[in-house]
Order: sequence, then structure tokens, then C-alpha cells
Amino acid sequence: MIEVKNITKRLPNGKAILDGVSFTAHRGDFIGILGPSGAGKTTLIRCLNGLTQPSSGQVIITQGERTYEVNRCRGKALRKLRQKIGVIFQGFNLVTRLSALDNVMIGRLGQVHPMRSLFYGFTNQEAEEAMDALDQVKIAHLAHRTVASLSGGETQRVAIARAIFQRPVMLLADEPIANLDPTNAQKIMRLLKPLSERMPTIGVFHQPDIAAQFCTRIISLKDGKVAYDGSPHLSNEQLEEVYGTSGRLSAVSTPAS
Amino acid sequence: MSRPTTVPPHYHRKRLVTWLLVALLLVLVYFSAKECRVDHQLFSSGVGEGLRFLTELFPPDYSTFSEMLYPALETIMIALLATVLGALFSLAFALAGAANLAPLWLKSLSRLAMALERALPEIIVILLLVAALGLGPFPGVVALSIGCLGMLGRLFADAIEEVDAKTMEAVASVGATKAQIIRYVVLPQVMPSLIANTLFRLEINIRLSVLLGAVGAGGIGYEIFYSFQLLEYERASMAILVVLALVFFSERLSDFLRNRLIPEGKLK
Repeated sequence: MIEVKNITKRLPNGKAILDGVSFTAHRGDFIGILGPSGAGKTTLIRCLNGLTQPSSGQVIITQGERTYEVNRCRGKALRKLRQKIGVIFQGFNLVTRLSALDNVMIGRLGQVHPMRSLFYGFTNQEAEEAMDALDQVKIAHLAHRTVASLSGGETQRVAIARAIFQRPVMLLADEPIANLDPTNAQKIMRLLKPLSERMPTIGVFHQPDIAAQFCTRIISLKDGKVAYDGSPHLSNEQLEEVYGTSGRLSAVSTPAS
Repeated sequence: MSRPTTVPPHYHRKRLVTWLLVALLLVLVYFSAKECRVDHQLFSSGVGEGLRFLTELFPPDYSTFSEMLYPALETIMIALLATVLGALFSLAFALAGAANLAPLWLKSLSRLAMALERALPEIIVILLLVAALGLGPFPGVVALSIGCLGMLGRLFADAIEEVDAKTMEAVASVGATKAQIIRYVVLPQVMPSLIANTLFRLEINIRLSVLLGAVGAGGIGYEIFYSFQLLEYERASMAILVVLALVFFSERLSDFLRNRLIPEGKLK
């Protein structure tokens, strides 16, 4: 479970990127974050795993009996927390010169002894598990290829396999399909869906129709505030509300085909 | 509204400045030539002298070939050892000198050390080290290792700074330490630059190691120096032939390794 309590993020000039955002996500929730550019969506995702520290407010992650307060964590505690959060990025952000398999194994770097990871690497057991993860996203046959030689869709599958291998308790996805064509976008969403049933999943999306198809809940941000929190099936009027004017709506909600 | 038909004011000035600069250069060349005692008579007699000297180099004394093998090997070993040590040394300075890994003070310090080293010719380093450590191959190895720092350290540091910040952040977001990020992101991404530049430096070090031999670091360079001292020009020319072969084949080998280790197309 992840609780976001009243988080605010201000720029040094005082402008609020996030302004009192609160929500709670449970296992089984697949939350789609919508909103126009500059609404604070990416900043919100970054606050959830401590890549950005909010100016005020709390993010609390609960796993069984244990709770972690994201914005209290520094150094080792922050690294320990991040092991539990899988992140998938818009730009994939994989190590392009390493193989798909190596990139998947990087997902568990925080969980192996640093000395072993620096001088030895991963065990055969771990390599097999990493292959399983690649198999789950249907690209086990590309395991030895360098990521630089893979297509966008394949690369994002590697990123998902990395998140699976990481064994997180929560999954974040920052515009995971924004760089993909509609067919690949659908395929990637179909891979994220079963993961979202196992752990709370929060993703930023630009296509309300895809969010409606896969997410269980939509939160829309506008000027750093939560403008909508509820059913993934938004009416046209509600969508207009999300994206501002109707002119902008038609430009944004058209599937990127 | 008439169009301006006059020439822009700085047009004439620009021509004047060009001529002044040419005149200044000519004056500088004249005084330099005078100070260096350029003498056309010495030059014309020198050409004849030089040609006579060249004939003395021929034919090389092929019987001394076997005597050249060990010194040549010593030159290679000095260069290889110096390149390996120097590359490791440079990598350490590069990690400390990369703005995306090190704090500003450390980065500035490391970059300053590398810039100072670049300003120091290898021959000065070896003369200092010969004074400090005495004659022999070891001062040569140390001098050449230090000599790598200015060039390799700088090139490595620049390559490291180009590693995608988002990729490093993505790996940090699985809970990796900085050391792990260096091992799993930075090193793999800069490896082509590391290999290519280190091999290039190996070529340079083989040439320098010949040169350093002549000032007492041993190896094939010392053979040339020593033969000239004894006026054994045919022996010297044999050693020069070995140097030519050595440098030529080391460059071929380094090209071959570069192409094998860094397949094109996979680079990004």
C-alpha cells in the first residue's frame, strides 16, 4: 500500500509543481495519472521513489508490518526503499551497450552484496531467474542482444523484465508507452496489466482511452492539484475538465496513430 | 528610401588589419631566423654532409639483428606496462574528474592535475625521474605512466561525462550504490572509448619508449644511442630498422584489435 499525504513540491522561485496531492493506492489498483503537460505528473512519480524530494507532505509505503517513509529516507535507507519500487521510464533508460539479460539483472543490484556485484557479478541461479523474467515478456530469444540493437517495443519489454526481476512491492511507470507506436503500446499495456494485479501500480499516460482500457482508477492533475480521482471511464465533459479547453482535448485524446 | 551604396565602414579597416598581421609575422620570422643563425652556406654544405652520413648507415649490419631482439622486447614491455598502469591511473583521475560523478572541488582538482601533466613534456618527466630513481627501465615505465594521465585522463573523463544521466538515475532507482552505477552503467558505456584511446596511447608509448631509451631507460632506443656513441653506424641503422618494424606492426596490431573489440553498428 502506498499513501501519498498532502505532498507539495515548490521550485526555488516559489511556483508549486505539486500542490497538496493526496491519494492512497492498494494492491490491485492500477492508477493512471492524466493531465496536461506541466501538470506535475512526472514530478509526482519522482516523489514516490525519492528521485525528487517534495517540499512538504509524506509518501508512506507499507509492506506487511513494515512502513517506509519515502521523504525521510536518505543514503542507505533510500537505496533499501528503492529496491522495493520498480520503475519503468518513457525513454527506457537502459544501459545500451549491455545485453538484455545484463540489463534485467541490474534490477536486483540493490539486493546483492556490493562486493559481489563489483567483482563477480550475478549467480547462475539469478541468471536463470532473469531469463524467466525475459520469457514472461516474450523476448527470451533476445537475451544476448545488446539493448542498442533492439527496437523501442523490445527495449521497453527489457525494462519491464528488469522490474519483474527486481521483485518490487510497487510499480511506477512514467509515460511507459509515449515513445511507442499504438500496436506496441497495446502490447506493453497488456504486459503491465497482470503486474498491476500483484502490486499497486501507478502510471502516467497521455492517452485517456488506453488508460480507460487498462487502469482501474484515474487521477488527473491540473496545476499541481488533484482535479479528478475515480472511475477510469471519464465522460467527455470530465476529459475536457482534465485537459482544459475542448480544443486541447481533441489534440490530446486522439490516439497516437 | 534609397539603399545604402557606401561600403560598410569596417571593410577597409579589415583589409588593413590583415596586412598589418602579415607584416608582423614577417618581422617575427626575420628576427627568429637571425637568432637561430640560419646560414645558407651551412645548409648547402650540410646537405652534402647529411647524404654522406646516410651512406655510412648503409648497409645495416644484419648480423647484429639477434642482439636487437631483447632490447626491442624491453621497449615493448616498458610501453605495455606503462600503458596498462597509466590507463588505470587515468581512469581513477577520470572518475574523479567527471562532473556527473564527482563533486565540484574534486572534479576541479583532478582536471587541474591532468592539465598540468599535459603541460609537462614526457622528456622532462623522464629527466626528473632519472634524477630521482636513477637509470633503467623502471623510471621509463613510471614516466610513461604519468605521461598517459594528461591525454587519457582527459579523454576518459569527457567520455564519462557523456554517459546518459537518465540511465544512471534509472539504475539508482533500483537501489544501486554509486560504485555499482560506475561498474554497471559508466564502465560499459565508455568501454569503446577506453579501449580505442588506450590502444592509441600504446602506439604513442612504443614510440616514446624508443625515445626514452636514448636518455637511459634502456630498450632499443638505448641501442641506437649507444651505437652512435661508438660510431657503429651500421649497427645503429639495424636498430633503426627494428624500430621502424616495431612501430609499423604495433600500429597494425592496434588497428586490428580496435576493429575486433569495438564492432561498428553496436556502438551508440
